[in-house]
Amino acid sequence: MSRIKPLWWVLIIACVALFPMTLGGMSPYRCGILVLAGIYVILAVSLDLLMGYTGQISVGHAAFFAIGAYVSGILTTSHGAAPLPAMIAGMVLAAAVAWIVGRPLLKLKEYYLAMATLALNVVVVTLIVGLQRLTGGASGLKDIPSFSLLGIGFDNQVRYYYVVWSAVALVVLISLTVVRSPFGRTLLAIHSDETAARTFGIDCARYKVRVYVLSAVFASLAGSLFAHYMNFLAPDDFGVDTSINILVMLFLGGIGTVFGPVLGALFMKILHEVTYGFQDYEMFINGAVLILVLLFMPKGLYGVVSAIGRRLSARRSP
Amino acid sequence: MKRTLTAALVVWVGTLLMGGGPAKAADTYKIGGIFPLTGSLSWLGEYKKKGAELKVELINKAGGVNGHNLELISYDDQSSPETASGAAQRLVSKDQVVAMIGTASVPVSAAVAAIGAKNKIPVIVGSGYEVDAGKEPFLFNSAHRTDFAVARPYQYWQSKGITKVALLMPIGSLGELGSSLGRKYAPTYGITIVGEEKFDIKAPDVTAQLAKLRALNPQAVFSFCTGEPAALVARNMDQMGMKIPVLVSHGNANPGFLKFTAGLSLPILVAAGRSALPDAIPDSDPCKKVIVDFSRAHQQKYGEPANYYSAEMVDAVDLIAAGLKATGSGDPVKLRDAIEKVKGFVGMQGIFNFSPTDHHGTVLSDMMVITPKDGKWALLLK
Amino acid sequence: MAGADTSQFLQFLFSGLTAGSIYALIAVSLVIVYKVSLLICFAQGEFFVIGALTMVTLVSKGVPMPLAFPIAVVVTAALGAVAERVLIRPLRNSGVGTLIVMTVAISLTLRGSAMLIWGKESHVLPPFSSSHPIGILGATLQAQVLWIVGITCVVLAAIWLFFEKTALGIAVRACAENPLGASLMGISTGKATLFSWAWGSAIGALAGCAVSPLLFMQYTSGVMPMVKGFIAMSIGGLASIAGAVVAGYLLGIAEAYAIGLVSSQFSDSLVFTILILVLLLRPNGLFGGAKRRDV
Repeated sequence: MSRIKPLWWVLIIACVALFPMTLGGMSPYRCGILVLAGIYVILAVSLDLLMGYTGQISVGHAAFFAIGAYVSGILTTSHGAAPLPAMIAGMVLAAAVAWIVGRPLLKLKEYYLAMATLALNVVVVTLIVGLQRLTGGASGLKDIPSFSLLGIGFDNQVRYYYVVWSAVALVVLISLTVVRSPFGRTLLAIHSDETAARTFGIDCARYKVRVYVLSAVFASLAGSLFAHYMNFLAPDDFGVDTSINILVMLFLGGIGTVFGPVLGALFMKILHEVTYGFQDYEMFINGAVLILVLLFMPKGLYGVVSAIGRRLSARRSP
Repeated sequence: MKRTLTAALVVWVGTLLMGGGPAKAADTYKIGGIFPLTGSLSWLGEYKKKGAELKVELINKAGGVNGHNLELISYDDQSSPETASGAAQRLVSKDQVVAMIGTASVPVSAAVAAIGAKNKIPVIVGSGYEVDAGKEPFLFNSAHRTDFAVARPYQYWQSKGITKVALLMPIGSLGELGSSLGRKYAPTYGITIVGEEKFDIKAPDVTAQLAKLRALNPQAVFSFCTGEPAALVARNMDQMGMKIPVLVSHGNANPGFLKFTAGLSLPILVAAGRSALPDAIPDSDPCKKVIVDFSRAHQQKYGEPANYYSAEMVDAVDLIAAGLKATGSGDPVKLRDAIEKVKGFVGMQGIFNFSPTDHHGTVLSDMMVITPKDGKWALLLK
Repeated sequence: MAGADTSQFLQFLFSGLTAGSIYALIAVSLVIVYKVSLLICFAQGEFFVIGALTMVTLVSKGVPMPLAFPIAVVVTAALGAVAERVLIRPLRNSGVGTLIVMTVAISLTLRGSAMLIWGKESHVLPPFSSSHPIGILGATLQAQVLWIVGITCVVLAAIWLFFEKTALGIAVRACAENPLGASLMGISTGKATLFSWAWGSAIGALAGCAVSPLLFMQYTSGVMPMVKGFIAMSIGGLASIAGAVVAGYLLGIAEAYAIGLVSSQFSDSLVFTILILVLLLRPNGLFGGAKRRDV
C-alpha cells in the first residue's frame, strides 16, 4: 500500500495542475470558481483541525478569515505593501489574537464555547464596520491589487489558480503532518477524553491553544488570498453566516479527516454553480442536502467516497 | 489512496456540471442582470428584475436594436458581494454579455464594478454608489446621486424654516453615506446637525436613541434607511410623540413602504424620482410620457405601478440600448464610449447627460419630495 | 432639565424591555428543549417566524385573531415534533457537533421553505389591543410589550405547573435529570424528548405571534431573535428557565443602556464583549449553579 502511495499523490497533483487547461478551458470564470473553492477548502481544513481533531466547537471562524483579508487589504492599498509581506502580517495578527483569546476561551465547554466564538466573530465584524477610516467600513475596501510575487503579477484567474492551489496543497500537507504526528495523537486523546488525558500529565490547555493558533493562521491565509481574488472587501462576507457555511462544508465533507473538508468545500461551491437559474431554492436545497448527508452518510462525502474506493479495490483482488 | 483518487475523479466530473467556457455566438445582445433575489435586500431585488425584464420585452416587441433582440440574463447576488463577484464573472466569461446592470447596495455594486473594470465591460448599477468617473470609466449609476436625495429634502426644509436636524443612521453602508452627506449639505441649506445616533437595522426598538436625540431639540430627523428600519424609526417617533418630520431614503418610494407606514400621524419625507407620482408631472415635461407609458405596461403585466427600483433598471436597459444603437455593434468598449456620450436622453429618472466626469447623468431637479398620505403618495416639493 | 433626564433614563428602560421581552421568550423556548434533550435547537428562530407567518396567513384569510393564534402555535408545535422524530432522533448517539449542525440544517431548510411559501416581502400585523402607546413620566412603551410580558408570565406559570404538578411533567423532568433511573422506572426518554421539542417550538411560535405586531415579519426575521435568545440562555445558565427570562430582560436592558449611555455605534461590540467576560467568569452562566462537570 505504501509503495503505491506516491503514485496516487502524483496523479492527484496532476489532476489539480492540469485542471485549467482541460476542464477549466482556460476560462477565468471556471478557474475563478475553483480559486474561491480553494480558499474555502483552506478554511474548512483549518476548522477541521480545531473541531474534528481537537473537538473544540467554533461557530465564528470567519473572524480570522476577516483578519487576514483586511490586514492584506489595508496594507496593500493605503500602505503600498507587497502582497506576501502583508499576508504574513495578517497571519501574525491572527495568531496573536488566537493566542490571547484562545487560552481563556477554550476553557469553556461545548455550547458556551460555541457562543463565545460567535461573539468573537461579531466583535471583529462590528469593529471592522466601526473603524471606518481604516477599513472602509460597511461600504467596503476598494481597489485591492491582485496578488503578485517578486514582480510577477497574478491578475488573471487562470494564473491565480496555481497560487491558491499551491497554498491549498501546503495547508493540506501541513495538516496531514500535524495530525499524524505525536502532537496530532495527543489532540485525539484530548478529544476523546480530556479528563483522562489530563491524568496522563498532558497540558490540554496548551495543546488546544496551539491548534487554535494554527487554524487561525490558516484561516488568515485564506482571507488574504480572498482579498486578492475579489480586489474588494466588505464586512458582509465575514459574518456569522460565513462561519456557519464553513461549518456546513466541514460536516458535509466528513469531519476529522482533512480530506473531508476538501470535498465538502468543493461540493458546496460547485453546488452553488449548479443551482444558477433557480437560486430561490438554493437555501432550501443546501439545508436538505445537509440533512440527507447527516442522516444517511454520517461520515460525510469522504465516507461515501472511501466506501466506493474500497469496493473498487475489493473487486480488483481475485 | 484509492479513495483520494476516487475523490479527485468525482470532483473533476463535478466540474463538468459547472457550465463555463464561451457560449455560442447568438443573434441577440446579451445584458447581464445581477439582482438581490435572496438575502437581506431580496424584497427590492424583485422590483428591479421585473422592471428590467419588462423593458427588455418592450424593446424587443418594438423591433429590438439594430435588428437584434436584447436578452436579459439574470442572476441572484444573494445580497452578498462575494456571490455578486462570482455572478458578474460568470456573466462576463460564460454568457459573454455586452453590459451588466443591477445590484442594490454600495458594497455589492463595488464588487461588480471591480469585475466590470477588469474585463472592460460597462456596468450600470442602481445604488447609493458614488461613481468617480475618472477612476472608474466603465461604471455608471442610473440611481440619482445620493447627494440629490439629501439636498432636495433639505431645500424643502429650508423653505419651511427648519434649521436643527438630528441624524439617526443605520449601522452599515447606507448609514455611512447618509451621515457624511447629511453633514456635507447642512451648511448649504442653513441647517445645523444637532446630534447623531446609530442603530442596528435588525433592532426591534430605537426609542433609546430617539430619547437621546429628542433632548437636543431637533426640528426634524434624518434617517437614511430603507424599508422596515425606516418604518420602525417613523413608528417609534410616532409612539414617543415626536411628531416632527422624518426624512428617510429615496429607496422607500415603493408600495411596501406605504403599507408599513399606514396609520402613522407624523410627517414622513421621501425623496423620489418623478416616476413615483406621474400625475404631478406637468405635461410639458418630456419624461412624463416615458413614465406614464411604462407604468401602464407595468401595471398591466404585474398588477402594480412601477416604482423607484423599476425606474432605475428601465433607464439602465434603455441607456444600453441607446448606446448599442449608436455604435451599431456589440463591442463593450465602444458601448461604454457611446453611453458616456449620451446627452439629453429622456428616461424615467430624468434627462440623462453623461460626460467623462459625470456618470450619474441626472440633476437635482430630477428629484421631488413626497410623503405618504392616506395610503398613497402626496407631493411636497416638485 | 431633571425631568428630561428621568424620561430619557426611563425610555432606555422601556426600549430595553421591548427588546428584552422578545429575547426572554425565545430563550425560554430554547431552555425547554435543552433541559430535556441537552440539545440547542438552532432552528428555533424559524419556528418563531413560521408561527408568526402562519398566523398572518390565517388572519388574511379571515380567521379571527384569537383563533388564528392558537392554531398557528399548534401547527408549529406539530412541525417541531415531526422534526425531532424524523431528523433528530436518528442522530441521538452522535456527537454534539453533529447535532448542532443538524439543527442548523433544519434552520436553513425551514428558512428556505418560508421564503418559497411566504415570499420576500414583510408582513404587518396589527397589535392585539389598541395601538396607543402607554406614557409614564415622559417615556412611552408600546402596549404590545405588556401583552408579551403577560404571555411570558402565563407560559412560565404553565411550565411550572406542568413540571411540578402533573405526572407527565414530573416524568419528563426525571428523564432530564436522570435518564437511566427514569428509564428503569418505565419512563420513555424518547417520548420526553419529543415532548420537549413540541413544547419548545410551540413557545417559539407563541413568541413569534406575540411579537409580530412589533416587528415586520419575513423569512429572515428569526435570525436575530435566535442569536439573542441563545446569548440570553448562555448568560442565564443553559438549563435554567428562570435564568433565561431574567437574562433575556437583562440583555435587552443592557443593550439599551449601552446605546443610551455609551455609544450607539459600538453597543454590539460592548454587549458581546461583556458576554465573553460573563462566560469566562461564570462558565455555567449566572444561574447555572455550581454544578461542574469536571472530575
